[in-house]
Amino acid sequence: MSWEVDYLAIAPELIIIGSLFLVLGLDLTLPRLKKYWTATAAVAGSALALIPLAFLAVEGETISMFDGSYVVDEFALVLKGLFLVTAYIVFLMSVNYIESERYYQGEYYLLLLASVLGSLVLASARDLIVLFIGIELVTGPLYLLAGWRKGDVKSNEASLKYFILGVLSTAILLYGMSVLYGLTGEITFSGLAEATAAMPNSPALTMAVLFLIVGFGFKISAVPFHFWAPDTYEGAPTPITAYLSVNSKAAGFVAMLLVMYLALPGVSDVWAPALWALAALSMTIGNLSALRQTNIVRLLAYSSIAQAGFMLVPFAAAAVAGADLEEAFSATVIYLVIYAVMNLGAFGVVIAGARTTKSGEISDWAGLSNVDSRAAVLVAVFFFSLAGIPPLAGWFAKFVMFRSVMIAGGAATVVLAVVAAVNAVIALYYYAKVVKSVWLDDATREFPGEFDEPPAGSLRLALAISVGLTVVVGFFPALATFVADASRVIAAGG
Amino acid sequence: MLLNQFLVLGAALFAFGVYGLLVRRNVVLILLSVELMLNAVNINLIAFESYLVSAQAVGQVFAIFVITVAAAEVGIGLAIVLMIFRNRKSANVDDLSLMRW
Amino acid sequence: MVEPILFVLMSMAALAGAVTVVAARNPVYSAMGLLGTLFSVAVLYVLQLAHLVAAVQVIVYAGAVLTLFLFVIMLIGVDKEEHWEEPLRYQRSFVAGMAGVVVLMAAGLTFFTDFDWVPAAVGGTDPSRTIGTVQAIAEPMFTDWVLAFEATALLLTIAAAGAIALAHYRRRPH
Repeated sequence: MSWEVDYLAIAPELIIIGSLFLVLGLDLTLPRLKKYWTATAAVAGSALALIPLAFLAVEGETISMFDGSYVVDEFALVLKGLFLVTAYIVFLMSVNYIESERYYQGEYYLLLLASVLGSLVLASARDLIVLFIGIELVTGPLYLLAGWRKGDVKSNEASLKYFILGVLSTAILLYGMSVLYGLTGEITFSGLAEATAAMPNSPALTMAVLFLIVGFGFKISAVPFHFWAPDTYEGAPTPITAYLSVNSKAAGFVAMLLVMYLALPGVSDVWAPALWALAALSMTIGNLSALRQTNIVRLLAYSSIAQAGFMLVPFAAAAVAGADLEEAFSATVIYLVIYAVMNLGAFGVVIAGARTTKSGEISDWAGLSNVDSRAAVLVAVFFFSLAGIPPLAGWFAKFVMFRSVMIAGGAATVVLAVVAAVNAVIALYYYAKVVKSVWLDDATREFPGEFDEPPAGSLRLALAISVGLTVVVGFFPALATFVADASRVIAAGG
Repeated sequence: MLLNQFLVLGAALFAFGVYGLLVRRNVVLILLSVELMLNAVNINLIAFESYLVSAQAVGQVFAIFVITVAAAEVGIGLAIVLMIFRNRKSANVDDLSLMRW
Repeated sequence: MVEPILFVLMSMAALAGAVTVVAARNPVYSAMGLLGTLFSVAVLYVLQLAHLVAAVQVIVYAGAVLTLFLFVIMLIGVDKEEHWEEPLRYQRSFVAGMAGVVVLMAAGLTFFTDFDWVPAAVGGTDPSRTIGTVQAIAEPMFTDWVLAFEATALLLTIAAAGAIALAHYRRRPH
């Protein structure tokens, strides 16, 4: 029983908890007009937490705590970095959005910080209990935040729908976990990996794995478990939608990949076909539904479902082909990181553009380039990057995905690659449609919003970070491959 | 030593929970059905624990975590129900056109 | 001999409670049905030597959670009838049939595979052993899972704070 706690290793978590309580105290004591300090505390907390992360990364040691149930290795550090940077951007996007609509301030940042903490815990979880608590800490506050626009019935529904399907998926996930525990007597990932590799395939084991996949499928909103996503994304406040589609989706991915890769590699013949089907369905249905959307947030919702399918491709392909999972794992992580940055940027530009257009309908965005050329340029950057057009970061994500599929080989893999390629073309169509509307179409009406004064500094900073990363990674993909090297460490350790 | 019987009881409660979740229209009753499902999970965990007797009482610790998290979720869920009731004077999911998938 | 008899009695009670939850027209009856299920399941936990979990089940679940449920049911009105007609035809019977099939499958799975998918008991089945006592649970909970424990505490705090913020309604002048 190891009882030593390495406080440097959990310093990012502690800093987030500290800023969480700071926000709580500030909100309680400050007068109404000075409440903006809560936002400052949240932004500063998520930035400060990156410092110990840098120290740990330089040290490069794998630290295992609590009898191996909590591990800080390079893989965990990369994901924590991703979660913190994206959270930082979301906080920046939130500041003015929350102030301008006079929502409650303190609790908003409190809940969002708790969700960030959950994702940090999740990245280090190496047993089922810690994993479960991490997932709950990520999603629990988000049920409330999705309904933050209290007077708006759409936001209420967003919250309710997300909540009901969230708890349903939690129950299904837990049922799978309980059977898995009964089958093996283990809950640590390493113990599960040993036990399941040694045991003959039984119907009970298959059932447990399928329950897990269904539960995770809801969390990452993969087709056919996606139906909550578009309504929830549309109804929630836009910064929360950005967080849902990036952080919470990434958290779901991390949880699923950790379990499949570290705990259940021995039963890949059960989950590989299931993931294959999820990937193919998510790409196809997500893209076909996105084609019909007229609302820009719903379009991004369906596009993020389709992107989840692309993210699953390398992993599913390698598992089906029985190839080395390590390469696929790093490809998925690279895709996840790049997707996070460009999708956050896309939502940021939706917030910025909506100041001018006051509408979420794509047709109302026509001719935006005439009045707000900077926003229009950013629309082009982020949407073309999502489509995978070089030299923006998206192309490298797609490239890595296809490369890992080619390495895997095999007939089923080739089919999946073809499906992915067709879908990439379909996706290009609807992303380009938005850009065309903004740049080439004539404005059909007067823009109601203000466009003389630039957006607030925090939103500009958020956009600058995302656009910088999108362009730089697109030109220098080597920057992203260090992520791959880090995720290889997990293979050595696991 | 009973194990099978407990597992079947757990499966039955889980199935009742899923049934209630799919056919009930009142959000509070949907939440009650979810509680049934979580209880099924706990029955499984406790039965396995009592059969396996792990060194660290893993199943029972897990069950306590599940109960705690369920309590937190109920708090969140009922807050959402109250918020919606304020706006709509209704707690039926049909009235919210919620199930339009 | 006590074990099977108690099991049959309590599992019947638990199932009866579950039926009440999903079938009763009045939400208060449903809540009472869940109360019955929770109590009978707590007895089953004692039967399985999970004493602390049984106590937590009664105190937290039956005590706190159900009281909260009853408050909300009373607040939003017990007299409001649910729509009982089916939006999709045969939806209810279809779901019931599916649920039945799942239970039968689970029953078949557990009865006809003679335990060969569950590893053998490691610690024997001596009823005097101490697996469910407070000490036996506290030790792993406050060493190996202390981080998860703290995170759960935070989750409860956040749930309470967030629920208050969300349900709190400030009337605006307009």
